[in-house]
Amino acid sequence: MSFVAGQPVTAIVQRIEIRKLRHGDNLILGFSIGGGIDQDPAQNPYSEDKTDKGIYVTRVSEGGPAEVAGLQIGDKIMQVNGWDMTMVTHDQARKRLTKKNEDIVRLLVTRKSLQQALHHSLQ
Amino acid sequence: MDDYDVRSAASILASVKEQEARFEKLTRALEEERRNVSMQLERVNIPSDRSSISNIGNSESFAWQQLVLQEQSPNNLTSKATMQEPHELVEETVTVEEDPGTPTSHVSVVTSDDGTTRRTETKVTKVVKTVTTRTVRQVPLGPDGLPMEGSSPAGSCTDSIDRRYMKNGDRYITPQANSTLTRVYNSYPDSYDNHHDLYRSYTGQDGFADVSDNYGSLSRGVHYRPRYAYVPRDNYRPDESYTLPSRNKYPVAQPQVQPDGTLDLNRSQPERFQPEPYGLEDDHRSLGPDDDGYELDGEPEPDYSTAGRRAPTRTNGRRPRRGYEDPIEAEIIEDRMPYLTGVYNAPLAQPERGSMASLDRLGRRSPSIDSIRKDPRWRDPDLPEVIAMLSHHLDPVKSNAAAYLQHLCYENDKIKKEVRQLKGIPILVGLLDHPKPDVHRRACGALRNISYGKDHDSKVAIKNCDGIPALVRLLRKTNDMEVRELITGTLWNLSSYEPLKIVIINHGLQTLTNEVIIPHSGWENEPNEDSKPRDAEWTTVFKNTSGCLRNVSSDGSDARRRLRECEGLVDALLHALQSAVGKKDMDRKSVENCVCIMRNLSYQVHREVPGADKFREPSTEQQTGTGSAQKKKKDDSGCFGGKKAKGKRNVDTDKNFDTLDLPKRIEPVKGYELLYQPEVVRLYLSLLTESRNFNTLEAAAGALQNLSAGQWTWSNYIRSTVRKEKGLPILVELLRSDSDKVVRAVAIALRNLSVDGRNKDLIGNYAMHDLVSNLTGGQQRPAKNLEEDTIVAILNTIHEIVTDSSSNARSLIQAQGIEKLVAINKSSQSVREMKAAAHVLQTVWSYKELRNPLHKDGWNKSHFQPNVTTLPKGAKTGGKSSGYDDSTLPLIERNQKDGNKWSGEMIPMEQFGPDTYSTLDRREKERKYKTTDISGDAFERQPLRNDTNKRNIDRINRASMNLVDAHDTKPQPVDSWV
Repeated sequence: MSFVAGQPVTAIVQRIEIRKLRHGDNLILGFSIGGGIDQDPAQNPYSEDKTDKGIYVTRVSEGGPAEVAGLQIGDKIMQVNGWDMTMVTHDQARKRLTKKNEDIVRLLVTRKSLQQALHHSLQ
Repeated sequence: MDDYDVRSAASILASVKEQEARFEKLTRALEEERRNVSMQLERVNIPSDRSSISNIGNSESFAWQQLVLQEQSPNNLTSKATMQEPHELVEETVTVEEDPGTPTSHVSVVTSDDGTTRRTETKVTKVVKTVTTRTVRQVPLGPDGLPMEGSSPAGSCTDSIDRRYMKNGDRYITPQANSTLTRVYNSYPDSYDNHHDLYRSYTGQDGFADVSDNYGSLSRGVHYRPRYAYVPRDNYRPDESYTLPSRNKYPVAQPQVQPDGTLDLNRSQPERFQPEPYGLEDDHRSLGPDDDGYELDGEPEPDYSTAGRRAPTRTNGRRPRRGYEDPIEAEIIEDRMPYLTGVYNAPLAQPERGSMASLDRLGRRSPSIDSIRKDPRWRDPDLPEVIAMLSHHLDPVKSNAAAYLQHLCYENDKIKKEVRQLKGIPILVGLLDHPKPDVHRRACGALRNISYGKDHDSKVAIKNCDGIPALVRLLRKTNDMEVRELITGTLWNLSSYEPLKIVIINHGLQTLTNEVIIPHSGWENEPNEDSKPRDAEWTTVFKNTSGCLRNVSSDGSDARRRLRECEGLVDALLHALQSAVGKKDMDRKSVENCVCIMRNLSYQVHREVPGADKFREPSTEQQTGTGSAQKKKKDDSGCFGGKKAKGKRNVDTDKNFDTLDLPKRIEPVKGYELLYQPEVVRLYLSLLTESRNFNTLEAAAGALQNLSAGQWTWSNYIRSTVRKEKGLPILVELLRSDSDKVVRAVAIALRNLSVDGRNKDLIGNYAMHDLVSNLTGGQQRPAKNLEEDTIVAILNTIHEIVTDSSSNARSLIQAQGIEKLVAINKSSQSVREMKAAAHVLQTVWSYKELRNPLHKDGWNKSHFQPNVTTLPKGAKTGGKSSGYDDSTLPLIERNQKDGNKWSGEMIPMEQFGPDTYSTLDRREKERKYKTTDISGDAFERQPLRNDTNKRNIDRINRASMNLVDAHDTKPQPVDSWV
């Protein structure tokens, strides 16, 4: 899937709802993100299209809230609570995910296997 | 392909239903058959006209009777049966893990600037899963009547009977090759309306007579001659329409050579043969005789037919191995299992299609071929069908299909690829979460075979459908040892592919540690007062898991950090190793794995562990600041001699080391701190003394090498502890090892150890001879042929030893080292060896007090100059290709020396440095990173770069700069935890 700025994107997405884990003062989602429009997309190991500056899930902690919710390494985050994540800086994405006043984040993610599954089912 | 898919899709449902219906019929028929048995006996009437029967012809009835007799006296039978059985019967499921043998591991040694080496072993583990099958012979004629009536079930009965019959009668050897019962069932023809036809017994035996001698799997299908007609029972006539002719078409069934037969034996424990009902039968490959050892012995094969019931064939009173879980009516079917299985397995089978097609498609191991061997009339399901069956609504069908896949995939990359293309892998992964043990076990088995091998695409495919978390989940859930072995074996396989390592760490590290490593290591976090410390259990699960962690521990600093910080891991590994040492049980694979993990985790430990800065040796910073580095960088190769001349003993360095006080401890050490406590020295030395496993030796020496590198307090302790524990003689002894890599690791370790002044004196005195004798050159060639890397390592070690020690240089001269060095310098094929030798010679020449004796020996200054023709001043030109493999080079921090001393050497280093790194680099590039892995690559390298930047050693510093230039063009990816 490649994206052209200004053009609508078609992707098969999965909704993932993560309930943050309270850890002292911190709310933990249990995953890490990489990417963003201010990052070098060529170094993103997970994107198919190496110019894709989207936000990707780079790590998911074992047994953490994100893993429980079904988030997977390599997922591309399309939206967070309705906010677009395909054209944001790394830091914007991080802030969007880590709002202190939100216990739950709802993600739209897409991943290769979803695309493949669709593809497969269409065959 | 397409039409197959269509057909299979279309026919699956229909045929399954049909089969179910048939099933019922069969069941009824079976009952009937039982009732009829006695009648049948009387009825036995052998049609002698058939050629197939001719051998047996007359004896048939006799044989049958005998059989009956036997049944009555099972004991005799048993004994006889036992003797012969092993050969024929059952194919076993042997899963073998990896081939610990060695051959597949890629080892790369990465040496970082400060002298720590990290050896990366990528072990391609071999999981060999042989799914064995029981081979059930075709039905004997003798019993003709018998099978007949009963209709279907009879078929199986016959088989078993047949077998017995044969044994008893000694008439013929049991044919090895015959088809498996299952096969027969599988090939259930759609057209078939009469059960009897299907099950009629088959006289194939004669045909097998020739084959019979060889039990090897090879022999199996090869000679199979289709010519025998089915034995006509009275009741029924063989259906000619069945593909009899087809046999002729495939006269040459490719024998499957089972490579594993022997392999398996070598390795580890074969998997327990599982009595599993389904699936196994499909396999036609019989084990070679070797395999019998495992599980076959004493197993009466015939057990599983219905006949079993009537005739207590089971020797040894063993129960028939397969538990029959019948999909549908388990209770009813019990004994007839094979049947059912067959039926389910091949819901789609349509004889008309002929196996030809599938044969072509699937290649030699294709199911169709197998079926040819067996019974040409039927065919096995082809691959799309098998994969479709994975989604069948009946669980047993799923598990059978998975087991069959496992069998098909065994060392067959072609099939693996097809399974991948047919999208079978996601389905298998999905089955891992299946509640039924049989299903997830089989799915796991199939995945293990699929994940094995150098074809990384399959591994990636497993990862892409989230197979790794699924495996880890299953590991948490299951207590079944076999399943755990399969899971960990699969993970081990997966861990051999670089890009998957971090995924395994992310998803499975803590689970693997908690579920396997800790419990099996015997380590307890909070030991009970009353419980004795436990020893490690060297289970297959532990071996697999440690192998997996060993692979992932080579995945760069991030991986090392994760492993070090993984709670209980280091503690448990150490405990396991202590236990191995205590028991003098140090040659096993698991020990090797553990030591390798320890070694990898010890790499760069002085930089990477939290708080390492606190232990940094204070003197270092000032002495080798960047400033001097810069300056030296500008130095140029002209100044060797002069600067060298300044070299003198640095006496002051010694003083710290002899009187080191180990720090007092208040709390017990745990976790990664254990890695570098002086106590580990004794452990590694014990391994070095006792182990006979070269990999273990190398890893233990590598661990000492890593720990003695670096410039922090702990490495000082380690260096002096090695001496105090009398480790130096042990290491020197190992310089005589036959193993190249052991010699190399030991040489580098000695080099790092000689940073300690006392060590340097001792090593100079006692190791010089052994170091020199490993060198080529001069008249005598060393006994072993060491690799270039090793020679260079030795030369660099010698260099380290003679530096600042003219008495050591003297030892070198006495050990006839000069002659060899000069020879290498002059005529070595290897530029790197040449450079390293030149380096040593220059150092030696720099000791003015030695020049006189050297002159007396006939040497003059020209011998000690670098060989200019090959080592031009600028050497940059040659630099790239001639890469100074750093494995040994710059290693140690020079904090103890004063800067000037080193300036002379700086020059060559400057050129070497970058090359060193480029070697590293090259290695990494060699890994087949696909686009997706690019940054994985970057991650790996990055820490190294950083390290280099921090480098205090000038020469290295320069090197690293080049390196950075080359690779650091892009901003590093940011990664934020949320």
